[in-house]
Amino acid sequence: MNKSVIRFLMGKVLKTEAVLMLLPCLVALIYRETEGFYYLFTLALCWLLGFLLCLKRPKSSVFYLKEGCITTALSWIFLSLFGALPFFLSREIPSYLDALFETVSGFTTTGASILTDVESLSRCSLFWRSFTHWIGGMGVLVFIMAIIPLSGGSSINLMKAESPGPSVGKFAPKLKSTARILYGIYFALTVLQIILLLIGNMPVFDSVCTAFGTAGTGGFGIKNSSIAGYSPYLQWVITIFMILFGVNFNAYYLIVYRKFRKAFAMEEVRWYFIIIISSIGIIFLNILGTYAHIADALRDSAFQVASIITTTGFSTVDFNLWNSTAKTVLVLLMFIGACAGSTGGGIKVARFVVVIKTIKRELNSYIHPNSVKKIQVEGKAVDRETIKAINVYFITFIVLFTLSVFLVSFEGKDLTTNFTAVAATINNIGPGLELAGPASNFSLFSPLSKIVFIIDMLAGRLELFPLLILFHPANIKEFFTRRR
Amino acid sequence: MKKSSSSAARGLHIIIVGCGKVGVTLVEQLSKEGHDITIIDKSHKTIQAITNIYDVMGVVGNGASYSILMEAGIEYADLLISVTESDELNLLCCTVAKRVGECAAIARVRTPDYSVETNYLREKLGLVMIINPELEAANEAARILCLPTVLEVNPFAHGQAELIKFKLEEGNPLTDKSIASIGKTYAKDILICAIERLGQIYIPSGNFELKAGDYISFVASRSDARAFLKNLGLATHHVKNTMIIGGGKAAFYLAKQLLGIGIDVKIIEADKERCEALSILLPKAIIINGDGTDADLLKEEGIETVESFVPLTGIDEENVMLTLHAKQVSKAKVITKINRINFREVLNNLDLGSVIYPKYITSEAIIAYVRAKRASLGSNVETLYHLFDSRVEAIEFKVASGSPVTNTPIMELNLKNNLLIAFINRNGKIIIPSGNDKIMANDTVMIVTTHTGFNDIKDILK
Repeated sequence: MNKSVIRFLMGKVLKTEAVLMLLPCLVALIYRETEGFYYLFTLALCWLLGFLLCLKRPKSSVFYLKEGCITTALSWIFLSLFGALPFFLSREIPSYLDALFETVSGFTTTGASILTDVESLSRCSLFWRSFTHWIGGMGVLVFIMAIIPLSGGSSINLMKAESPGPSVGKFAPKLKSTARILYGIYFALTVLQIILLLIGNMPVFDSVCTAFGTAGTGGFGIKNSSIAGYSPYLQWVITIFMILFGVNFNAYYLIVYRKFRKAFAMEEVRWYFIIIISSIGIIFLNILGTYAHIADALRDSAFQVASIITTTGFSTVDFNLWNSTAKTVLVLLMFIGACAGSTGGGIKVARFVVVIKTIKRELNSYIHPNSVKKIQVEGKAVDRETIKAINVYFITFIVLFTLSVFLVSFEGKDLTTNFTAVAATINNIGPGLELAGPASNFSLFSPLSKIVFIIDMLAGRLELFPLLILFHPANIKEFFTRRR
Repeated sequence: MKKSSSSAARGLHIIIVGCGKVGVTLVEQLSKEGHDITIIDKSHKTIQAITNIYDVMGVVGNGASYSILMEAGIEYADLLISVTESDELNLLCCTVAKRVGECAAIARVRTPDYSVETNYLREKLGLVMIINPELEAANEAARILCLPTVLEVNPFAHGQAELIKFKLEEGNPLTDKSIASIGKTYAKDILICAIERLGQIYIPSGNFELKAGDYISFVASRSDARAFLKNLGLATHHVKNTMIIGGGKAAFYLAKQLLGIGIDVKIIEADKERCEALSILLPKAIIINGDGTDADLLKEEGIETVESFVPLTGIDEENVMLTLHAKQVSKAKVITKINRINFREVLNNLDLGSVIYPKYITSEAIIAYVRAKRASLGSNVETLYHLFDSRVEAIEFKVASGSPVTNTPIMELNLKNNLLIAFINRNGKIIIPSGNDKIMANDTVMIVTTHTGFNDIKDILK
């Protein structure tokens, strides 16, 4: 294992975090809040540590998939550990574990909160909370790749570990340009949303924070009532942008380069929209009876579907009060998640497409035992390795999920709460049902459960394997043995 | 993504079709030089393996198909290099690419059937270059066999100057002398530009002392080089006969050249049909049908008395074994061809003597072209050689008028360290420069340096 390169990259990550923390400091300066000093302190600490770690250049910059996974997992853990400091130091969140939960929830774009009164936070903390969504959405290592040249082609292993989805496609020959294009699209869409929100008379601070939450498909609101207090126009804007950020970014790349036909032929994106539209339809019909206006029912069902499938987790209504069909649809959507290559979480539509095709093929092989059929997506054969990886992903997901539900069950809360709370964290959504529902929050859980949720959120965002590989006994052993 | 304006600074968009030995070598070298590379190959596995190691984009498919080329971004590409197995496919790829995009195209064509028509093909199909690694390898082997006491001969300035590498044996008059002290006597018209000692590379200054066992690279005009070697007591006449093991394309090209200058050639080839074909193509050569790795057969055919021995089988390990065997049983000059294996350190330790790497010969020619294409109008790379395992580059630049290096005495130029101006070619005359010489416009200048990636003559300045 090339430990020195991992150390060096950790240094870069911390330095990047220090630079990113300039923004909340700026916000504190604008609103003249004393909490800004805690951000300044953390910033200095990150920079110092990052500087020390980067002091010695690694002898060889070679690293393989293993190092890529470890670096990714470690850097997310480091980011969260330091990102939580200002909340804790400023006493806005008195317990460090709670602060960590909040930060992990931010970086992993979950949006689950332990705060009972969000509005009591300082502006800079509210900003930092939402900004972690924006950073976490596209990934901090991708960000680093876009600005800092990482020598050696093997840095693709970093992107593989950090990007959501079963496979990583490059837009441009160089990783750096690919990372830049990704961030370019991300940034442009975010700015567009801010402008549209401003047109709807949302205050500047609110629209920036809301746009960050939407772009990263995070879901931290800056109001206790999440999005419910905003006008119908603003809710529609947010609905549409949530859906847009859940689309595979390859589609935007193709649109930017005017390859419209190819963009609209993307199988995953088509399924994504089919799922969204049919879910909205079902929920709309289900809740119609309880609403006075059709427009309200449509808006609420569309908003909640978009929020859950993209794993954002904003809410305009307490859907815990809906009837059980509507709730079940939402829970199913939690697991499906957004498209691969988007900022959303969940298992991803792409994986479901392949799995359903695999099931179909296996069933057919009972009828024609000797038939040969390659699974195709968008007219291209999916190779055996990818299919295997997807199947293993499903199994691992179920194992981790079951284990988490079991661990949380010791608290004595009801099954729906436990089940949906784990689903909401591992899929990076935010609110679940019952006690974990949109009107409630995660402060009710015990420290043990919070730790379980923190691990679930990280595992979900990094697509399970990087985090599991970090804790692989062989790696731990290698990490603590010195090589002579 | 506009192509022409930004490409010079950011690197070219290059598409490489076919990821065999040469393809991978090109990917390695060109990605190191910072170009945007897209590779096309039929095998999913190959693409996967290469994209895991190098920062390039991969497309799986047939490189001659329009849609695959579009997917690889042929519209924005500056250069397409086709190095698949098949000559015809390579030519087709380039032809299609030229119709679709505005890129330059390079094809590998190595069948002897086409080799005489290379220029015709190149012109008619509008290609910038046709490369033939087997032919190049044969040329290099032939050059060495004409000067068998040295290890490497690389021609510059259209063959007027040569860069020659040899090993300083015990008892050579140059041992334990400093470079300054031999400058007046032995090394009057030559320039020692790089020395390898125990794996270290030195670009020597005047007080550098030579030791037995050093590998010395020097540059001189053709005739001066021979005079210099003669003074050192090294033979400068070509070998009288040679034995080639394996009757592949490279063997054919080599035999044809050697027969042309009156060297007797004996080829040992295992395949009967190939033997017959060769005997028609090369009526003057002796073709032996037999297993070239059979020690008895080699003995019978006179390996102990032959003056030179060139194993050119398709299997690198066999070539190395044959070389080691020949070194043991005879005094013949041996040239080893290595196609695939990458353990250069191991090979260096085996002290094989002259070693030829066809894939590097090819990639050097292409990299020289790419550098020239990338450079601004100021000057151009004419030839490029990698010496001492790519640790030293010898580059020949064409100097245009107005370049900052012109019209100033060399000693007043603020040159980078580890760099040497080896010669100046002025209208066909080779000048080994002293500090008072000046570089003029329209000269070609050879630079020997341990820096990599020089695109332009002005890169030699600090």
